[in-house]
Amino acid sequence: MSPLLEVTGLSKRFGGVRAVDGVDFRADQGEIVGVIGPNGAGKTTLFNVVTGFYPSDEGTMRFDGHSLNGLKPNQITRLGIARTFQAVRLFPAMTVLENAMVGQHARTRSGVLGAVLALGPTRREEEHIQAQAREMLAFFGDRLVGFREDQLASELAYADRRRLEIARAMATEPKLLLLDEPAAGMNPQEKKDLIQLIARLRDERGYSIVLIEHDMAVVSGISERVVALDYGRKIAEGTYEEVSSNERVIEAYLGKQK
Amino acid sequence: MAEKVRTPTRRAVIIGVIAGVVGIYLAATGNILRFHTRNVLTTADGEGILQLSYTFLLLVILAAAYRAARGTSEQQPDPARRIGLGVLTGGVAGAVVALFVAAMKALIEGGLIVTEITPEIRAVLLDDILLFGRGLGAGSALLIGLGAALGAVAASVHLLDRNNRRPLMVGFVATLLVSLMEPLLRVIIEGLGVDTAWLYQSRGLTVTGAIIVFVVVAGLLTAWTRRGDLVRERVRQLPTQQRSVLRWSTIALFILFLLFLPSLAGLRVSEVLTTIGIYVLLGLGLNIVVGYAGLLDLGYVAFFAVGAYVTAILTFRSSFLVSESGVSVAQLDLGDKGFTNFWVALPIVVILAVIIGVLIGAPVLRLRGDYLAIVTLGFGEIIRVLVASDWLRPWLGGAQGIIAPDDIPPATLELRKPANLYFLILAAVLLAAFISYRLVDSRVGRAWAAMREDESVAEAMGISVIKYKLLAFAIGAGIASLGGAFFAVKIGSVFPNSFKLIVSINVLAVIILGGMGSIPGVIVGSIVLVGLPELLREFAEYRLLFYGAILVAIMIYKPEGLVPNKRRVRELHEVDEEEAQFAKRAGEDTAAPVVTAGGSDEK
Repeated sequence: MSPLLEVTGLSKRFGGVRAVDGVDFRADQGEIVGVIGPNGAGKTTLFNVVTGFYPSDEGTMRFDGHSLNGLKPNQITRLGIARTFQAVRLFPAMTVLENAMVGQHARTRSGVLGAVLALGPTRREEEHIQAQAREMLAFFGDRLVGFREDQLASELAYADRRRLEIARAMATEPKLLLLDEPAAGMNPQEKKDLIQLIARLRDERGYSIVLIEHDMAVVSGISERVVALDYGRKIAEGTYEEVSSNERVIEAYLGKQK
Repeated sequence: MAEKVRTPTRRAVIIGVIAGVVGIYLAATGNILRFHTRNVLTTADGEGILQLSYTFLLLVILAAAYRAARGTSEQQPDPARRIGLGVLTGGVAGAVVALFVAAMKALIEGGLIVTEITPEIRAVLLDDILLFGRGLGAGSALLIGLGAALGAVAASVHLLDRNNRRPLMVGFVATLLVSLMEPLLRVIIEGLGVDTAWLYQSRGLTVTGAIIVFVVVAGLLTAWTRRGDLVRERVRQLPTQQRSVLRWSTIALFILFLLFLPSLAGLRVSEVLTTIGIYVLLGLGLNIVVGYAGLLDLGYVAFFAVGAYVTAILTFRSSFLVSESGVSVAQLDLGDKGFTNFWVALPIVVILAVIIGVLIGAPVLRLRGDYLAIVTLGFGEIIRVLVASDWLRPWLGGAQGIIAPDDIPPATLELRKPANLYFLILAAVLLAAFISYRLVDSRVGRAWAAMREDESVAEAMGISVIKYKLLAFAIGAGIASLGGAFFAVKIGSVFPNSFKLIVSINVLAVIILGGMGSIPGVIVGSIVLVGLPELLREFAEYRLLFYGAILVAIMIYKPEGLVPNKRRVRELHEVDEEEAQFAKRAGEDTAAPVVTAGGSDEK
């Protein structure tokens, strides 16, 4: 089976620093891949290049039969890659429902004229957007529905913000979901819930998932394959057991043993 | 070093001194003298009771005493103490003024001031305006006593509970405004065929009139505060459909009122209304760019100018398009009408403005926030300089602009009448408001909002930032150009000077004051910032002062604007809301099990 996302020889430099340095990376259909590495290893930069936030310097990126090189973030979203951010980035002054509705933007089309005239097709599309957004919010149980729909995103509790960010990404109807440290700032119980949630995202919605994570419990609990980065290079790849016992990985995290 | 704690008494004295100094400043700058003949309150026979000059002093003392008696968040004085503080503040203010007068008198009479004394100071001091013409001794005593009395009155406002305080204060301000707007209101009321002798005498409100105005305003407000919640609650309980019927019929009533307004209000007001209307149009347009899309455009006047100039070129007989030689704007009388009529010109104007909006928008797309503001500022100036330049003089008339000759073509002639133009502007405003209203909650509006909140994330949601920025610029430009077209027709001429930076700033002030992103806010903002100064012509010199004071006051006390959209209120008062939520949750705790049980049953 050909991979859903295939990155070959990807490099990104900032001045003299090679943030991502010749990385080969793939994610298959229905797979959950964990990306680990110490701070500054280039994990988030990898996400940023793949989603078009930064242009790549070298290498090719292919997704679902399309080249991603040179595409803008909005075009890449349209192709079916959605992401969350390391520091939660919601639209704070919009309501929960509106945040999720924005996610539907890529999948809908009505424009100014449609909005002003509010004819049948536009109204139906608007209803469809709302229904879709509500469906994604309902995925998180009762955390984001009911009266919370009309709360501002900035009024939500931290864990619910994380949830909403995922719901918003889901509303873009992606094939591949990139989660950037979804467990950051969560307590042990919330982390357990998160592991279940990520599994449900794959099983029930059929997304392929790549997650950057520092929390090894989360990574080991969910990832079928783990990729370790250090100084922008891939230093190990395999199952969690393989990667976690890899000498270079241990070295990268703990320093060289003398 | 320990910070000094100011006792309430100390604060009251300091505030009193400040009030006194403000009073002295008003007197020394000639403002007391200038308004000494303008009555605010008169007897039924038109004999002055209270002049505007004293009203100023009175307001200063009232405000100071009110402030002093309010206390601070740490110190809440008891009622008797409050009155005492008010009396102290007012008395101190009066004493400061009296002391100043006495000192000046001593200096002048002792020959110690050798420079010439301005007539302003002489009139205030030597002719004893500040001392009510009663000499130093009695005058000073009166001043201090009056200050103390006013202080007591202002302080006693604090003794009322909130529901009573508001009607009282609003009633007071309304009465004052009715008095100040005498030139305008009298004309309107007399235009209705109603005698105004009971209300106005020799330029001021009669005592009876003042009482009636106050009672009516305060009474209505009291009724609303008592019953308003009930009414609002009842409206909220109506089914959605009935509620929307109610809302639309309110809007329809309002529009109906607007339709009859010019015939009620007369020529002068109609003229002001057209000016307000043009600003509402500009505000609605800029509201889309700044309020919805979050693009701070300081060169918005450029599109206003484009609208005005294109209209002038297409419809004025003095336009180069009409002149056969096509060169000189000095030869005014070549054709007997403009190149085309206004109705044909209007769509051309809008389309051209939209194109220019996109052209200006394109190079600044990458810029965000402050940078965008500076660059658009530059573009606005470029348009004005171009228009004024010798280079484009053959077509745009340079500094002389383009002037419509007096014998203007028929289609335009009708529009030069304020009442006719008013209806046209009203139609355009309604259209622009409708477009804004429909856009804000649509897919387009959400894309703008997302872009305003976080541009990169918006892009990651599949929103083409370039497309939506250009769209906002284009729609904003189109609406502004309509305003420009009406402006050209209204004034009958276009000059580069009409399109200075200050117009952009005014429009921005209108939407900030009204409430960013709020359509009614734009309307209210225009009325307050453009309409009121026009209507208070008498105080023409003070218009900018008034303008500045209003802006400062509103930004301090109502940072979300006069008629904010609900979302912004929540954003700016998030802290209060959180507290309220905690309070609510604490109250709900006992009922919580029942609530959750009911909730899970439903599923």
